Amino acid sequence: MPINLTDEELIAEIRAKDKELYSEIIRRYETKLAHYLRKFFRDADQLADVLQEVFIKAYRNLYGFDVKKRFSPWIYRIAHNEALNQIKKHRREGVSLDETEWEIIDEDIDLKKEVDASLLKEKMEECLSKIKEKYREPIILYYFEQKSYEEISDILRLPRNTVGTLIMRGKKMLKEYLLQEMYGAKQKS
Amino acid sequence: MEPNKNPNLENKVMESIKGGQVKLRSRYIFLAEKLGLGSALVLTILLAVLFFSLALFYLQATDNLWYLSFGSRGVNAFLESFPYFLVVALIVLILLSGWILKKSGVFYQRPFTFSAVGLLGVIVFVGTALAFTNLSEKIEDETFNNHQPARFLRPFLSHGLKQRENGAAGKIVEVGDGFINIQTPDCLKRIDLTRMVRPLKEDLVPGMFVLAVGGHDGVVFVALDMRVLGEEDLLMIRRGIHREFGPMNERRPLLPCGSGAKEFRILVE
Repeated sequence: MPINLTDEELIAEIRAKDKELYSEIIRRYETKLAHYLRKFFRDADQLADVLQEVFIKAYRNLYGFDVKKRFSPWIYRIAHNEALNQIKKHRREGVSLDETEWEIIDEDIDLKKEVDASLLKEKMEECLSKIKEKYREPIILYYFEQKSYEEISDILRLPRNTVGTLIMRGKKMLKEYLLQEMYGAKQKS
Repeated sequence: MEPNKNPNLENKVMESIKGGQVKLRSRYIFLAEKLGLGSALVLTILLAVLFFSLALFYLQATDNLWYLSFGSRGVNAFLESFPYFLVVALIVLILLSGWILKKSGVFYQRPFTFSAVGLLGVIVFVGTALAFTNLSEKIEDETFNNHQPARFLRPFLSHGLKQRENGAAGKIVEVGDGFINIQTPDCLKRIDLTRMVRPLKEDLVPGMFVLAVGGHDGVVFVALDMRVLGEEDLLMIRRGIHREFGPMNERRPLLPCGSGAKEFRILVE
């Protein structure tokens, strides 16, 4: 049964009387957060564990959420912190992109003309995992999670201008790495 | 593009919530966290303001800055009398308040330099404003009279009244041939004037406040240069002398500086 409440109203209800409404929050965010966390974890079981931990942590800390603010960046921040904690525990993993996801970022950095598509996807994953975390995180949130600068600023607790700068620099680095990889690969073949 | 959806996730999470294994943390915990962080921030900022104001007071009311008026000859005495403990505590408090401010995440939408400059601005502005009041003087009074609340500040201020190896400041109580005896905040000190590199412009008389640079030869301080100051220029030292020796015209038994008390008595007698 669809519930016509905003996330923030829903949280107020959960806190005040009805715990069971939390299942609606899980339904609303499960896919989105799984999509986001897949950039950090390739292993499906690990991803499921982290996702479950995110929802449990979010529930435990519901009173820490300010209902005057937006819920989405708040739960993304929990996911972000949990992902970083897990990565620290299990060391770094590569970035994994969906079948068409790499195209989103490629439209912006525009390398299609220069290299073939299958190679580009493979290299994109490799290069994304190569760039520093502080650049990779905003790029993932901006290009793959379609978050605005404002939301990224709330999730990563960074000034908006800094978010813009990190995306711009990260994109430049990514392009440089990609070109390096592509030309290196072409020369070898 | 659709990521794998785990059909059990919702059930698992909801079961642990309904089963009571996962509970909401009390709102009072979050309130206490916020209040704790806020109070810690306010406390560190207030202490930083207080320490900034006390540092200004120290520089203004002790012999420290005056030693620089002797040029290179006064540098050692300046370094010796510098309020390191006070300045280090001030820096630690500023860093701590900056860290708490960052951790609280209140101003994360603005660059940290903005918050840091604002924080420093508040500390400098309010600290300077406080320096124009008599708060520091009251704190000094409370501190050296061992009154409880201000007693913890004693280690920070007491350096201003300690004996220096390369400098001496105090009030003349006796003028002799080639020497003077001065009261300092914790003892009586003989100053040898025979090796002065330049003559004094003024005649020395008891009651004058003097500042000298040089070095010790046993219990006697051998002055290389000296300057006469007004008693308003060394307020903390003047009050220290008053506390140690009593009212200006009331002489108590004189206590010589250092461990060579006997030698000093022989010199005085």
